[in-house]
Amino acid sequence: MSLKKQLAEFDASRNRPPEVVAILRRGIAYARESGAAGLRIGERAPDFTLPSQRGEMVRLSDRLSRGPVVLNFYRGVW
Amino acid sequence: MQTIRSLGADLVAISPELPDNTLTMAEKHAIPIDILSDATSEVLKKYRLWFAVPEEVKTLYLEKFGLNLGKYNGAGRWELPVPATYVLDRGGIVRAGEADPDYTVRMEPSEIVAAIRKIAEKHSM
Repeated sequence: MSLKKQLAEFDASRNRPPEVVAILRRGIAYARESGAAGLRIGERAPDFTLPSQRGEMVRLSDRLSRGPVVLNFYRGVW
Repeated sequence: MQTIRSLGADLVAISPELPDNTLTMAEKHAIPIDILSDATSEVLKKYRLWFAVPEEVKTLYLEKFGLNLGKYNGAGRWELPVPATYVLDRGGIVRAGEADPDYTVRMEPSEIVAAIRKIAEKHSM
């Protein structure tokens, strides 16, 4: 099964009250309308330096010098 | 993830959260990928993924989910990224990717692997 299908099934299984679902949907619509559309294919990803969970400073360009990088932006562990 | 590594690619995760204080040093070292903390949201903004959580959702998180995002992110930052995945070649060019405000949707791992394979083929030519 694809990840998209698994996630959709999980979300449906949560059986949230309709009023909660409505607020979450409006929140998603708000984020969509905010214009935060991310990078385009073919665009150069901006370089950055950020601390890792090990307390090391990680620089994107250093990682790229070793090979391709998969960048994942996620909301949090909560 | 093993597949991504075996193809010579690195995996890096970024969130606006403060560095996790709940894990021990040993646990932190056991995590096989780098989890980066963008505690000022500067990188989120550079990547055009940043948005402020609307008031209605903030109230829901606080009152119904008991989730104080401002505490996880620090400095009362009720800010989030649009969840996104980008596959970058060695030049830092986005070769594949997906950003969707609907956080129940994610890029298919098979598409990520396919994009890395394509980059690897070009590199070996």
